[in-house]
Amino acid sequence: MFDFLIQGFGVALTPLNLGLAFLGALLGTLFGALPGIGPINGIAILMPLAYTLGLPAESALILLAGIYTGSEYGGRMSSILLNVPGDAGAVMTTLDGHPLAKKGLAGPALGLSAVSSFIGATVAIVGLTLFAPLLAVVAVKFGPAEFFALMIFAFASMSAMMGKDPLKTLIGAVLGVLISTVGVDSGTGVLRFTFDMPELYDGIDFVVMIIGLFAVSEILLMLEHAFRHDQDGEMAPIGRVMVKMSEVMYCKWAILRSSVIGFVIGVLPGTGASVASAVAYTTEKRISDRDNTFGTGDMRGLAAPEAANNASAAGSFVPMLTLGIPGSGTTAILLGALMLYNINPGPMMFREQPVVVGGLIASLYIGNVMLLLLNLPLAGVFARVLQVPRWILVPSVAILAFVGVYQLHSDLMAIYLMLVIGVFGYLLRKFGFSLAPVVLGFVLGGLMEENLRRALSISGGDVAILFQSGLSIGLWIAAALVVLVPMFAGKLKAKFLPAKAT
Amino acid sequence: MKLAADRILSLLLLGLAAFVAVQAWQLQVPFSYDPLGPKAVPLMLAGLLAILAVVLFVRPGASGEWPTGALLLRLVFTMAVLGFYAALFINLGFLVTTALVSIVIAWLFGATPVKAVVGGLLLALGSYLLFTYGLGISLPTGSWIEPLLGSD
Repeated sequence: MFDFLIQGFGVALTPLNLGLAFLGALLGTLFGALPGIGPINGIAILMPLAYTLGLPAESALILLAGIYTGSEYGGRMSSILLNVPGDAGAVMTTLDGHPLAKKGLAGPALGLSAVSSFIGATVAIVGLTLFAPLLAVVAVKFGPAEFFALMIFAFASMSAMMGKDPLKTLIGAVLGVLISTVGVDSGTGVLRFTFDMPELYDGIDFVVMIIGLFAVSEILLMLEHAFRHDQDGEMAPIGRVMVKMSEVMYCKWAILRSSVIGFVIGVLPGTGASVASAVAYTTEKRISDRDNTFGTGDMRGLAAPEAANNASAAGSFVPMLTLGIPGSGTTAILLGALMLYNINPGPMMFREQPVVVGGLIASLYIGNVMLLLLNLPLAGVFARVLQVPRWILVPSVAILAFVGVYQLHSDLMAIYLMLVIGVFGYLLRKFGFSLAPVVLGFVLGGLMEENLRRALSISGGDVAILFQSGLSIGLWIAAALVVLVPMFAGKLKAKFLPAKAT
Repeated sequence: MKLAADRILSLLLLGLAAFVAVQAWQLQVPFSYDPLGPKAVPLMLAGLLAILAVVLFVRPGASGEWPTGALLLRLVFTMAVLGFYAALFINLGFLVTTALVSIVIAWLFGATPVKAVVGGLLLALGSYLLFTYGLGISLPTGSWIEPLLGSD
């Protein structure tokens, strides 16, 4: 049953792939730590690199996965040291992380967060190893109708759980799906929304979309940020970098509980690190905050969200690798990267591409150890990255974006399109959208339409096929529950607990 | 009452939904065995988008802070600089355009002129060396430089 893992270690332990895992971990940590970049932007900016190097699919994926997990590590630095979360998943880290830094414990806080991240990720990778093959067996039973229902479930759980505003999450997803319809329709060859521009016949290129949406819009937001607050917060001194064993033991239950919570939430399609860390933090606060120390620099309050967001990062690979449904915005980017290699994500991937899947999982084990070894002693060095002035950082991001798109297309239209998408992304972010649903919609949109149409072709247009198997009915019910339960739970809570405001 | 940003957005989305619906409706579809065809999904999406836009209009959220005045000018200027970068990227070559653009952006982000010029030049040169020799990417050298290098 674990042949895939043995085979995977064979792939991941080749010198090239080991080197790439290390490079990914290093670059990911650096980019995640850069002020204002954060994990999802980091991976978007570095993605073209994987193609530039002309790597085979499994190597590219190993590099990108290294960047992904590395940037989760790096993302905590600005949360702890500057009280500026790099992305939504790191918000909870600031609650106790920054007070710790203010107490003069910045170094131990960084160390503790590295250890909790390591444990969280390890628990989740073991979970991924055990759980993914089981899910892949079920996934083979999926037909087009089940797939369509699964994607509806993914969008439903996303809108219920992700972001502060479910309405905008849904609108963002619809916009993403709409963008995915641009280009030649694969079923009939009809041109949709191409406006007689040949550059659009193949649809909007994934790399152009991602770089525009994240990197270009980030440049504009950073400009705004720099204009409004002329300097960032004071950086706390790091102090001793090593975390004491006794401090880790103090947090052990917080870490373990949060790891499991993070993994389970990560597995749910559409919900990622931000939900996981929030649930883990509030759970831990409820269980162990007896002296009201959470929020004032309690180590457990730092360990819990850190373990959870790394666990969810690994957990979100489960639906991506077995079902082809990304578990988070970042895995949506990884999935899109896979599709560029003509690897169709889906239930057959586990069987047809054991090298890619096994190599990726094995490299997660390896990368995780590398990250711990990199981050414990070098936290102080990485923290310097936070002080890179924006006037160097921003032109560098612009250069990476331009070169990334140019070397894929050698075409000015692609660069202009990237800029237009950048303005679009900036406006979305100003309107309070999060970009992850847009990316999920963009990546899943094509698959969703294809499966819907295939299902209806099988049934000759009879919609009943969508609700025929037990599996699909279960998914439709699950989708309805995810949306309805929080709505009613909120109302019931308001009814019975009117006084308690949380 | 100030018009909420979300209301404007809602109207824009309604316009988009209508545009998508009209465009999709006009698609000429050849005969196929696909009962749904290429029109159905965009039409459904347009419908869904319209409903969501109406809900947004009825229940708009907070408007947030929008750039005005000098900041808006800077944002527009930055986009113009990036557009200029794109337009001249191939003809003028990577080195020259990158240096110019880096200097201007660095200056926009508050570097002193000396720092901006030095930083911009170093960034352009450093990234050129990294991409060309480190990663083996061929970057545009610029059409103006080729005659200077001698013809062959």
